[in-house]
Amino acid sequence: MADAVLELDRVDVAYHGDIRILRGLSLKVRPGVITGVIGPNGAGKSTALKALYGLLKPVAGDVLIDGRKVTGLPPWKFIDNGIALVPQQRSLFNELSVEDNLRLACWSFRRDRARVEQALERAYVQFPMLRDKRRDLAGSMSGGQQRFLELGRALALRPRVLLLDEPTAMIAPRVSAEIYEFVHGLPGQGITVLLVDQNVRQCVRISDHLYVLELGQNKVDGSARAFQQDAGLRDLIAEWVDYRIDA
Amino acid sequence: MELLILNGLVNGLIVGGIYALVGVSLTLLYGVLRVVNFAHGEFVIAGSFLAFVLFSSFGVPPLLAVPIAAVVFFAAGWGLYYVLIPRLARSDDPELMSFLMFYGVSIAAAALLLLLFEADSRTIDYTFTPVSMQVGPIYVSTARLVALAITIVVSIALALFLFKTLPGKALRAAIMNPEAIQIMGVDIVRLSAFAFALAAALAGVTGVLIALVFPAFNPFSGAEYTIIAFIVVVLGGLGNPVGALLAGVLFGLAEQMATVFLPQAMAQIVGFVILVGTIFFRPSGILGVRFKR
Repeated sequence: MADAVLELDRVDVAYHGDIRILRGLSLKVRPGVITGVIGPNGAGKSTALKALYGLLKPVAGDVLIDGRKVTGLPPWKFIDNGIALVPQQRSLFNELSVEDNLRLACWSFRRDRARVEQALERAYVQFPMLRDKRRDLAGSMSGGQQRFLELGRALALRPRVLLLDEPTAMIAPRVSAEIYEFVHGLPGQGITVLLVDQNVRQCVRISDHLYVLELGQNKVDGSARAFQQDAGLRDLIAEWVDYRIDA
Repeated sequence: MELLILNGLVNGLIVGGIYALVGVSLTLLYGVLRVVNFAHGEFVIAGSFLAFVLFSSFGVPPLLAVPIAAVVFFAAGWGLYYVLIPRLARSDDPELMSFLMFYGVSIAAAALLLLLFEADSRTIDYTFTPVSMQVGPIYVSTARLVALAITIVVSIALALFLFKTLPGKALRAAIMNPEAIQIMGVDIVRLSAFAFALAAALAGVTGVLIALVFPAFNPFSGAEYTIIAFIVVVLGGLGNPVGALLAGVLFGLAEQMATVFLPQAMAQIVGFVILVGTIFFRPSGILGVRFKR
């Protein structure tokens, strides 16, 4: 088994030809744990995630799934590989009902009715609120409820890897705490997580392995324990992301 | 006077139905592909010429030309998508480039029609029996009533598809959030090709109806319908299919009523007044749904 289920290998991503957002970035999503990615604004965290999911094509370097090169694989093929994404920007279809949002996620097996119903049921069991609101328009729900719909929708497909980009941006603190608890429990359900986050404290708290990015490059990476215990690393993060991690 | 107004209303509905179809196909294209199809009018008029050829060369009646046009244009649209759009997607600003490219396609298509059919105005000599029917106190040509019926059937079928089936919802979802639909595992290239083909099929069918409703068409008629399509799309709200259907009917009614109340020359500018007025006062269209880019 490869040591990473999903990997960026020395990847460059450029906009408009020559503005390089990522420069030689390498990143491994290790199986069965939470991998966290932090860094200051503009470090290229979301770009890295988009490159990982085929939404941006690298100009150099490779994307690997289970050690296989899949560079250039379009985003709609990732779900077939058991990899789901909840992006930072809202990914709901506001004028469709909650249930239709869930059904669209079942697109690749839409003719298999039993499987579709199972997936819906899984989402409703995980987040019972969704069942009550299944006929409501997705856009009519609160920010937190929308985030739970996105999570429920991604998990309904039973992915083995879940990529999360700032899951609690613009979400009320109480709901944020709930979301982090939920994400923290995912490896226990056999789901590997990649968490890209601005919320350094929470990201460090629940991650097993951490990457710090700066200016589209790897700054440093290591186990979360090392980050919490090593005063030098702590200061480094404090300096780079302007945030001090409490020991 | 009442008769004139009633006449204006009935004809407004008929013409408006056609405008609605022209607009809804253009708005689907823009919504899903973010492509500004400046050649849309030529697609439509090509449908009129197809009906013309089918009838004059093979004796196929216009009613039968409707499904034939749908199939032929669907296939042509599917092929054209793969010829044109992948090139477009590689440019830095696909939306702007689409405008220029389809302007070129429009000129080329008009020239091709000119080469094939020459500059004479054509008309389909088919007559329904009876030639006209009584609607209340007025008479309306049967061809126009048939066109209206087809417009209604096509609009209802399209609405059912878009709102009741999963592929239809996927199309609408792609309009609402083009990045998210890919994350759902939907192959956006295939979906876009389908949208292009569907829009082409609608345009082709509309062309057949135009041949039924309007006295004549020629290779240069396309530009006129492109303008109408844009007015309808803006009035209905960019990328909003329901808005386009409503806007088409409204525009048709406004135009026909204007011919009742205003001098002929004034009636011509009604469309532009509506277009400019919408952009100034209600830029998100009559339904007021803001379009997310």
